[in-house]
Amino acid sequence: MAQELDSYVDGQHDTREPIVEEPAPQPFSYLDLARLDEALTMSSRETGLWITLYVGDLGSDTRGTAESLHAGSGNDPSHSVLVAVSPGQRVLEIVTGSAAARRLPDRACALAVLSMTGRFGSGDLVGAIVNGLRQLSDAAGHPSAHRH
Amino acid sequence: MPVIETVLIYGVIPLAVFLVFAVLTLLPGRGRDKTNYRPGQPWEHEAVWYEPHPAAGGHGDVEVDHGRPGLGATAAALAIGEHPHEPGSADDLGPRRTAAGGARGTW
Repeated sequence: MAQELDSYVDGQHDTREPIVEEPAPQPFSYLDLARLDEALTMSSRETGLWITLYVGDLGSDTRGTAESLHAGSGNDPSHSVLVAVSPGQRVLEIVTGSAAARRLPDRACALAVLSMTGRFGSGDLVGAIVNGLRQLSDAAGHPSAHRH
Repeated sequence: MPVIETVLIYGVIPLAVFLVFAVLTLLPGRGRDKTNYRPGQPWEHEAVWYEPHPAAGGHGDVEVDHGRPGLGATAAALAIGEHPHEPGSADDLGPRRTAAGGARGTW
């Protein structure tokens, strides 16, 4: 069979294996990335909170890792919300800063977590994240509606 | 009506319409689920940390420092336990705990 295939090599059809390695498969397609980007940007714009999304391993102490990530997140950790997803460990952590926690009480976060984990369980990572972000931004509301 | 005409009108045309719709619905879904996640599978991708566009939120007067590593819009996240070092900040006093609340869940 191999010889038969070789006989078809005529200089016009390159049947060699590619030398350059293919890039590692990305976790999300471009369409998914666009959805995630829009969800993050819109929820941050609506709430005035700095909502970031981490997807990756969270180590053995998932809560501690998520909290230390939150501490190092961007400009103002007290106004930032970290949504940390570890699909390999099947853990989701939402961490809110002190100012963000007034807008997003733990109960609202737990509700978002509940709906997200339901979707994660069916394998819909992006849909769960997009919906969870929408729920978080709905719960937090618009910044002008709040008087701190 | 001749038999051939009958077969053409009542057999071939519906079949053609059916095939057209079958092709339209089945073909675009090909290879779409390459990156699908199944619960229980190991996650072998690099950790990523997405953040919104700088103008989007974060308290109005956000000054995003683009020189910092790992905090780009779709840049790779920092490794676990590795934080962007801020010279002259309160890092010397030990890690501040900034978390005030939140929730966790598993699936």
